[in-house]
Amino acid sequence: MLVRDIMRSPAVVITPDTTLQDAYRTMREKGIRHLPVVEGDVLVGVITDRDLRLATSALAPAPFPPGSQVSAAMSRTLQTADPLDPVEDAARIMRARKIGCLPILDEGRLIGIITGLDLLDALIRMTGVDKPSGRLEVRLPDHPGELARLTSFLSHRDLNVHSILTYPDSPDSVRTVLRVGSIEIRLIAQELRRAQFEVLWPPESPCPR
Amino acid sequence: MPSVIYHPAYRTYSFGNDHPFSPLRVDMMLDLLEALGQRVEMVEPEPASREEILGVHSEDYVRRVEELSAGVEVPDCQVFGLGTPDTPAFPGMDEAARWLVGGALHGARLICEHGAKRVLQLGGGLHHAQKSLASGFCIYNDLAIAINRLTSHGFSVAYVDIDVHHGDGVQQILYEDRRVMTISLHESGKFLFPGSGNIHELGSGIARGLKLNLPLQPFTEGESYLELFEQVLPVALSHFRPSVLVVQAGADAHFADPLADLMLTTQDFEVIFRRLLELADAFTAGRVLFTLGGGYSPDAVPRIWAILYLLVHDLPVPRELPEGWRSRWSTALATELPKTFHDPVPAYADVLNRQEIAHRNRQMVQRLFEATREYWS
Repeated sequence: MLVRDIMRSPAVVITPDTTLQDAYRTMREKGIRHLPVVEGDVLVGVITDRDLRLATSALAPAPFPPGSQVSAAMSRTLQTADPLDPVEDAARIMRARKIGCLPILDEGRLIGIITGLDLLDALIRMTGVDKPSGRLEVRLPDHPGELARLTSFLSHRDLNVHSILTYPDSPDSVRTVLRVGSIEIRLIAQELRRAQFEVLWPPESPCPR
Repeated sequence: MPSVIYHPAYRTYSFGNDHPFSPLRVDMMLDLLEALGQRVEMVEPEPASREEILGVHSEDYVRRVEELSAGVEVPDCQVFGLGTPDTPAFPGMDEAARWLVGGALHGARLICEHGAKRVLQLGGGLHHAQKSLASGFCIYNDLAIAINRLTSHGFSVAYVDIDVHHGDGVQQILYEDRRVMTISLHESGKFLFPGSGNIHELGSGIARGLKLNLPLQPFTEGESYLELFEQVLPVALSHFRPSVLVVQAGADAHFADPLADLMLTTQDFEVIFRRLLELADAFTAGRVLFTLGGGYSPDAVPRIWAILYLLVHDLPVPRELPEGWRSRWSTALATELPKTFHDPVPAYADVLNRQEIAHRNRQMVQRLFEATREYWS
């Protein structure tokens, strides 16, 4: 999944001479929290609802009046992303910089924006929970061929895998989370256990039959 | 007198001998009722028409079911959930599924046009089927089609789904319909197919707050189940004031079910069925349409559905199973069936973390009420 697959395009933008009051109104009307600030095609800053609240707060040492220009309160040190970046790269940048949005630039031109909520949507889509399915979680040794052993086990039963995620668990193992198109997820888990897979989900019965 | 709806053609809804959704389960129940000396008087329905199916399903989808049914190859059938391991294609599947819909529709018609009170449809309950998707053994959504028949007559419908799997198809088809409240009690989607049925799925638009889900912890036992049932159902029904109940009476929340992990006993099912009948008396002038549903333990399912039949007829549940029936089916299934109608006490080894499970279920209901509060005021 790439940034261009999840970005909002075009982004709602304002100019540096917009007043804080008008920026606030735009956010309220559109139901958004982040506004890229542009001069023509060129991105010059970003202002967020948090920037507005801090700049105008009665607790600020010198609160800005509502008629001040956005250029006085916006951030100018900008982190942007490319439409062809994988979404996980975008997530890593936002997490590392503790920022809530990334303007997306193509050849220096602003073409869209992603926010933390778009990344949550991406997570939901990537884990496949919008299709009727059962969830399996399996710990595999971190060796070549182990994932293939798991997926060929499923394909021999003609089961459709709606989604599959694998991530490092310990130095010598990985966890694989799958959503499988089957109502018989318990029986599949039992068969996997019999075939020596370490199935973490669904958990084993605490009540022996 | 309650109406019992059945047609031998229901048996044609069969995915093959190795598939869990087997017509054998209803055969065993009917044979059990006969062995008990019940003269079961059946009302025979007609199969639903294509137009009636199209009231809920898309033309694209129905056409593919018809083609597969006629033995035509459909290259993209898996996109529609057809020809999958769960819902394989079989010759005659369109008509077989229309028979089950026809039964549920006939039940709705008896209530609308003939003032019937208690109706028991001995089949169907295909709650997973979506507008353009077969899912979890379900081809056409008999429940949604019957519910639409009831609402178009002017009834408001409370749909109660006690199948162990979330009633996702019914919920989804009626998600914006404010004439229908859906209440599904199921093993949490975190653990079980189809994955949905979270407390935050509350309906949309004007129907927000009218779709309720009680996702239960695995290994939830009868005591906790009934506690939540009593906390939620009477309150929800007093809020909504339905004029008819539709109940999907799946039997797979039984502890012996191979596909899920709730721990109800036949005694618990008897209490649930009695309470549903009492709620119908209290809220809907006794009007209730029961369908069957999931349930994959050949030992438990015929007993549970026979209990439903007996209670619907205000008959007592006998202590012993008829010996002839027991030996006949023990031989047929090559397994020793129990001697008593109800499960033994205790029915299973202890559930180790019983208190924690009950606690987490209580918290779930608290969160459900927090979420519905703004829509129920």
